[in-house]
Amino acid sequence: MNSVFLLLPVCLPIAVGLGIFFLKRHSAGLISGLAMGATLAASVLTWLLIFLCRQESFVLLHLTDALSFCFRFDSLGRFYAGIVATLWPLTVLYAFSYMAHEGHKRVFYSFFTVAYGVTLGICTAGNLITLYCFYEMLTLSTVPLVMHNLTRQAVRAARTYLAFSLGGAAFAFASVIFLVTNGAVGEFSFGGLLAGHPYERSALTWVFFLLGFFGFGVKAAVFPLHIWLPKASVAPTPVTALLHAVAVVNSGIFAVMRLVWYCYGPTLLRGSWAQNIALGFAIITMVYGAVYAVKEGHWKRRLAYSTVSNLSYMLFGILLLTPQGLEGSLLHMAFHSCMKILAFFCAGAVFHQTGREYNASLGGLGRAMPVTFTCFTISAVALTGIPPFNGFVSKWYLLTAAAECGTPMAYAGAGALLLSALLTAVYMMPNAVSGWFGRAEPGSLDTIREADWRMGLPHVVLSLGTLITGLFAQPVVQAAAAIAAGG
Amino acid sequence: MNQWLLPISVLLPMAVGAALPLLGKKSHRTLHLVVLAALLLQAVFVTWLLLLPQIELPLFAMTDTLTVSLRMDGFSKLFMAVAAYGFLAAGIFAFRYMEHSQRQESFFTFFLLSLGAMVGMALSSNLITMYLFFECLTLLSMPLVLHDRTKESIRAALKYLFYSVAGAFLALCAIFFLARYCTTLDFQAGGSLDPALAAGHETLLRVVIFLGVVGFGAKAGLYPLHGWLPTAHPVAPAPASAVLSGIITKAGVLAILRLIYFCVGPEFLIGTWVQQALLGLSLLTVFMGSMMAYREKQFKKRLAYSSVSQISYVLTGLFFMTAQSVQGGLLHVVFHACIKICLFLVAGSLIFNTGKHSVEEYHGMGKAMPKTMIGFTMASLALVGIPPFNGFVSKWYLALGALRAELPVFSWLGPVVLLISALLTAGYLLPITIHGFFPGPKESVPEKNNEGGPLMWVTISVLALLTLCSGLFARPLAQAFGAMAEALF
Repeated sequence: MNSVFLLLPVCLPIAVGLGIFFLKRHSAGLISGLAMGATLAASVLTWLLIFLCRQESFVLLHLTDALSFCFRFDSLGRFYAGIVATLWPLTVLYAFSYMAHEGHKRVFYSFFTVAYGVTLGICTAGNLITLYCFYEMLTLSTVPLVMHNLTRQAVRAARTYLAFSLGGAAFAFASVIFLVTNGAVGEFSFGGLLAGHPYERSALTWVFFLLGFFGFGVKAAVFPLHIWLPKASVAPTPVTALLHAVAVVNSGIFAVMRLVWYCYGPTLLRGSWAQNIALGFAIITMVYGAVYAVKEGHWKRRLAYSTVSNLSYMLFGILLLTPQGLEGSLLHMAFHSCMKILAFFCAGAVFHQTGREYNASLGGLGRAMPVTFTCFTISAVALTGIPPFNGFVSKWYLLTAAAECGTPMAYAGAGALLLSALLTAVYMMPNAVSGWFGRAEPGSLDTIREADWRMGLPHVVLSLGTLITGLFAQPVVQAAAAIAAGG
Repeated sequence: MNQWLLPISVLLPMAVGAALPLLGKKSHRTLHLVVLAALLLQAVFVTWLLLLPQIELPLFAMTDTLTVSLRMDGFSKLFMAVAAYGFLAAGIFAFRYMEHSQRQESFFTFFLLSLGAMVGMALSSNLITMYLFFECLTLLSMPLVLHDRTKESIRAALKYLFYSVAGAFLALCAIFFLARYCTTLDFQAGGSLDPALAAGHETLLRVVIFLGVVGFGAKAGLYPLHGWLPTAHPVAPAPASAVLSGIITKAGVLAILRLIYFCVGPEFLIGTWVQQALLGLSLLTVFMGSMMAYREKQFKKRLAYSSVSQISYVLTGLFFMTAQSVQGGLLHVVFHACIKICLFLVAGSLIFNTGKHSVEEYHGMGKAMPKTMIGFTMASLALVGIPPFNGFVSKWYLALGALRAELPVFSWLGPVVLLISALLTAGYLLPITIHGFFPGPKESVPEKNNEGGPLMWVTISVLALLTLCSGLFARPLAQAFGAMAEALF
């Protein structure tokens, strides 16, 4: 297939989403039907393109002679698009049930669908400018989702999110400008664009690299720029699950991958102090996120801190600047998405059915909602990194990469990773244990029912996915290895 | 065809266990019959497997490097048999002990699941598979601890979980370094460390191996990760403590054995600081465990400390790295399992029949429950290591192996610590017998009771007789384990 077709999955959800927003007369059924239709169509298209699209670029328009707005579907983009395209329809299905009794459905489904198109735009962006545009659009399209409840807390969270993201993007833009003025304006190419330019190994390069890293790192929740993420968990669960565990935060990771591996280039950065600083922050974040997750008493915020920690596993992998590191990072991106969205879904289902949202209030709920808690236990075990679930595989590859790399920073990271994995057990398992074995007030469980199938199905599918991608991880590992080898 | 017996022996107890909740609220009789059938079938299965030669079955590959496969060698047979028979004894006892419990099906579910995981651990043929079952065992045996669902028991269970998971991650650290420097992750007697690859990285490797052993040692109660044992055992039901202490802690021993002798190879460690540090830790644990047991008044907690100490006997044997010491360690695995299950069942029986937990309340108990207390006395004598009971045999080989190791300091320090600890063992076990049978003249003697019926006292008596018989006729076992240990060097 020609790469013009890339515009389809990007534009279709955006168009439908905007359409929903401007609908004059509407019913709940029409809105959710449109959203689901557009999402499914875009997902099918994306999967077709993943297998069929030729790897060539399609220039939509030239901004100036040097700058263009262009699309290209390379292997990294395909990998990320595959994750997004699989998880998005499941989340929409989940949202049908979760949002059934919430207000503002039109706004919700409208922006939720737009965000899908924008995320696919990030996947298919062919150069840094295009990526940057979609990146900003993602921020703007997801702000209304964060403040969906319109409570004071939600509005404040949205404001923080907006401030951090836009501020980060501004820093990132500085880095983009630096790259552009130094001639690195072309399409992404594996290994970097900066080889052989005058400032090649100067302090200026490192400074601008760090600006870019922290700029894009806002979405990847690198310490100390992670503050918006736990706050944003006031959003409805489909939003926190999909956007704040997968699409938005992984877009941050994806952008850093593009920046490090496709713009500045690993050979250039390797051994520089900029690498060490970035690595240092990633390592701090791993432990910091996990420690705060342990301290946190609110279930969804705890998961959000866990995301903070896990995202830094990926950053760590990227910044090792070895192909094995990138491979481990990609694996963790795929597997973490699956595990964490599952954990959020479970927390959301419990909140939806019982209104309970604090860790201490879960006693005995597993007996009333066995499916939900089975799935949550699976995600807890997988996140902790226990075989045969997929979390073990990605941690294994990350650790192997760190050992292979052999620098002191890599060893420190490996230690931090293991420590944070232990803390993962400390913050995930008690919720599962108290759900199954904790004491419930007599009679308090009588009225509690399992969520309906629209919530249950995503749970079960994702749990099976967590298990199967662990048991038979080879295809995913191969895909990640191919990307890391420059394919 | 025979190779399919391996996964079946793992899955059989797991499948039955997982199916138990499906029985619903049927009578406890049905439940007990199903569990008994499963335990007996498993014991028969395992006995059959013992007679077969080494078999192997690769199951599947998660990725190119991470494969899950099963293999049965002599060591698998040893641990598998200990698990199957030990669970059988504790299970039979539990039918009576758990009679009044509301959640029997939950107990037996996790009981059988743990058995499956333990057998899986024994049958693992590479580090990844073993790690998998190690974690499974932790997760599946944890609910045994929190059976009572009290705040205290849940906290104890979480403590057990965190200690084990922390240990497992330390071990994982060793595993992924070994994956780099070993030719294969499969177990090979004598180790598979590639000298060419390892050259120049010896210090790093030794550090991570040390961490790995300490990590796996969490399950075996090795200092400094022993803290969960004295917390978890007192709150768990007695049959659960029996298997936790007698068998599941042995999973840590097995893991360390596989790590040192089947992946790294003993010659890489003999005479290095790693060996000395590990010996130091294990001897410290031996002494400290006994000391704490001596000072503890609550019976089950005392037994838990005793386990901490006794399992480190086994580890000391492994760390001396001579054929005799390993032989002694292996013997002690079997003998200690037998003795400690017996002791915990005695504790269970005393609590079940009298409701008393503290050793100070057991005065005159020999008059009230003579059969149980005779069983206790025999098991105590065995644990102290008095011939002709079995504990003597294993300790004999342990001391012999220590002396043959020809290490500075430790070669004489080891036997000395073992002796002191044996004295302490006598100090914390035998007074219970003495006060039990010969209470002071002024003390009130508890009333005679039926000792919990035949299900309880027969199980205890059989185990007690086993401690005697396996001591009297230890030769075949000692020879078999001697041959297995020789093959490692």
